[in-house]
Amino acid sequence: MNRVSRRQFLTTSAGIAGILAAGVPPARGQQREISYLCWNNFAPNSDKKLAEIGQRFTKDTGIKLKIDHVSHMGPQQSKYASEVQTQAGHDLVEMRMHFPWLYEPQLVDVSDVVTELEKKYGKALGSSYEGAHVNGVWRAVPQYHGMFVATYREDLFKQASLKVPDTWEDLYTVGKELKKMGHPVGIPISQNYDSISTAGPVLWSFGGMEVDKDGKTVRINSPATVQMIEWYKKMFRDCMEPEVLSWSDASNNESIQQGKAGWIHNPVSAYIVAKQRKLVTADGINHHRSLGGPSGRHETDTPRHIGIWKFSKNVEPAKEWIRYLLGKREVYDEYIMSGDAFNLPTYEKLQDHPVLRTDPKYAALRGEGVQYHTYGWPAPPSDKVQLITNTYLLPNMIAKAVTGTSTKDSIAWAETEMKKVLAG
Amino acid sequence: MAIRADEIPVSRGRPRGTARVSGWLDRERILGPVFVTPALLLLLLLVAYPFVMAVYFSLSNAFIGRPSEFIGIRNFVRLWDSDAFRQTFQNAFVFTGVAVFFKIVMGITLALLLNEQLWFKRMIRGAVLLPWVIPTALSTLGWWWMFNSLYSVVNWTGIAIGLMDPPGPNWLGQRYYAMAAVITVNIWRGLPFFAISILAALVAIPKELYEAAEADGANANARFWHITLPLLKPVLAVVVLFSTIFTFSDFNIVYVLTRGGPINSTHLFATLSRVLGIDTGRIGEGAAVSLYLFPLLVFVVWAQLRFVRKQAY
Repeated sequence: MNRVSRRQFLTTSAGIAGILAAGVPPARGQQREISYLCWNNFAPNSDKKLAEIGQRFTKDTGIKLKIDHVSHMGPQQSKYASEVQTQAGHDLVEMRMHFPWLYEPQLVDVSDVVTELEKKYGKALGSSYEGAHVNGVWRAVPQYHGMFVATYREDLFKQASLKVPDTWEDLYTVGKELKKMGHPVGIPISQNYDSISTAGPVLWSFGGMEVDKDGKTVRINSPATVQMIEWYKKMFRDCMEPEVLSWSDASNNESIQQGKAGWIHNPVSAYIVAKQRKLVTADGINHHRSLGGPSGRHETDTPRHIGIWKFSKNVEPAKEWIRYLLGKREVYDEYIMSGDAFNLPTYEKLQDHPVLRTDPKYAALRGEGVQYHTYGWPAPPSDKVQLITNTYLLPNMIAKAVTGTSTKDSIAWAETEMKKVLAG
Repeated sequence: MAIRADEIPVSRGRPRGTARVSGWLDRERILGPVFVTPALLLLLLLVAYPFVMAVYFSLSNAFIGRPSEFIGIRNFVRLWDSDAFRQTFQNAFVFTGVAVFFKIVMGITLALLLNEQLWFKRMIRGAVLLPWVIPTALSTLGWWWMFNSLYSVVNWTGIAIGLMDPPGPNWLGQRYYAMAAVITVNIWRGLPFFAISILAALVAIPKELYEAAEADGANANARFWHITLPLLKPVLAVVVLFSTIFTFSDFNIVYVLTRGGPINSTHLFATLSRVLGIDTGRIGEGAAVSLYLFPLLVFVVWAQLRFVRKQAY
């Protein structure tokens, strides 16, 4: 047995006493470690790439990175809420849409990181700015976005000599033919986010809005909303199937992948999955720009950001990870490429990204995104606009109208409910 | 030679402290609380604390991660003004009333069948428990697939055997069908609890009562109404009590199948509470939704337990 010398004993004892008195562990030998919670990406290769980049990050910086995944929406929000309430959990979290507004007081100011990124890549896109720039401060770093475009069965269009639509009215014309062919239009009108992702742009394209720019005045009761509802009514009657009233976020993807729908409004994920799973429909699917109306072309997307919780004890290493993933052009490119055009860069100078040239079917995405907005636009995001969104007032108003309630009564119902939310 | 009790040598080697603790523990007044304390602490931690917090949240303007203030019953008043909440309130009573009624009727029927001599009795009794054993979210996903608008096996079967006209009902997309679907799954899920509990009570009914009734000329119908049902009442009361509370607070089935849609027509208190409290961050309102019926449920529990006590004594 090795005997401990008097000198060794005294050194060790003094060291331990010092650590205990200071309450701080010595820097030497202390492993810096951060944890990152993100969702299961719709493009699964992107998660694999993230893990690979994470390992390189640890090798290059000595900071250990633990990446956890959570399935999207429901469980994700519960997890975030519990982390905030208990003030414990991950250091970094991936945030969707308006989350930075929802968790504003709990998020570190990351304006320094965003400023560096914007200097390099140009301004963050409008939808990312709307989602993550909260009351003058960047509460999360724009990471990527997945824009809503039109996904259609090009083979069926060619077969029936249908013209690719450019406006919502054009869609009605081709939709009637598609339904006759047994391939209806698939736009959900149910309590999910894809329903809002279409209803918002349709409303904006007809010149309407839910709440005004001031964030206080309800503007849903307008001639534009009447036009929008009338459009939905005829689409529902002549171009769609009643099944859209029960659809989840994944249903329109499944419908076109399985050969039923002829046209859906969605990011390119339906095509990516069809291609990866080698579905027979993959070859026939293509994309075109989202559609316009009398008041122009307005589109929406689902921006993602990375936020750092204030309770994190590793804010600087966390920022270092964001700079590593997003700030190094070659790493960011590598990450974007792995998402197969589902995750697109959300900075202006990167809009013509090489990922869009990896497949001719991504041509519709080139140059898009700059004019995109988040839900609730033009009202600035707030907890009240969030409540209007999360209680699905817009799709419910449409669902009421297409299932028999008069247009006037449906709008009056939505107006009353929205006013109550804003007054509350 | 006889030895007197006071002559028995007393061990002097035992430490005095241990002897004193042992002496205390011999007293019921001390031992009782010692045994009860861990359970009490667990109850305080896992039941009382969350409950008190929920009550506090419901009376405040709590928002995720922000400081909150006491606002009295304003959340409860405001909720009543919301169309989604009023619809939820109505849904909860329809859902619970219809589901519990069918669970009682079908539970008694199933228990009577299981009580008869059958082939593979044990296997069948075990199989009946399956819906109750499988995790709810998982089994509900199976039902979601069966009701799915794109590939509903229910509709496919119905059309194949000529019961439905193509394309069949839009189960999760039309308000009454959607409610019927969530109620069906709840009945399927809750039926084993009723059947097995009632079966346990049936087995305990003395056979002599039936023999005597039969000797007096009572037919099967009369035996059921005058012997079986009266003797099942205490068990039924407890089962109905538990089931009513569980059904009112159901979450998984609605969350997986419809997420409260279409147009809030299947929202229950738990699902609406989640939307407000978690998805939107309004913890105060979310807690108020989940506690809205608390006074009513307390009354139901009190009334039912009183009834059970009367039946027992």
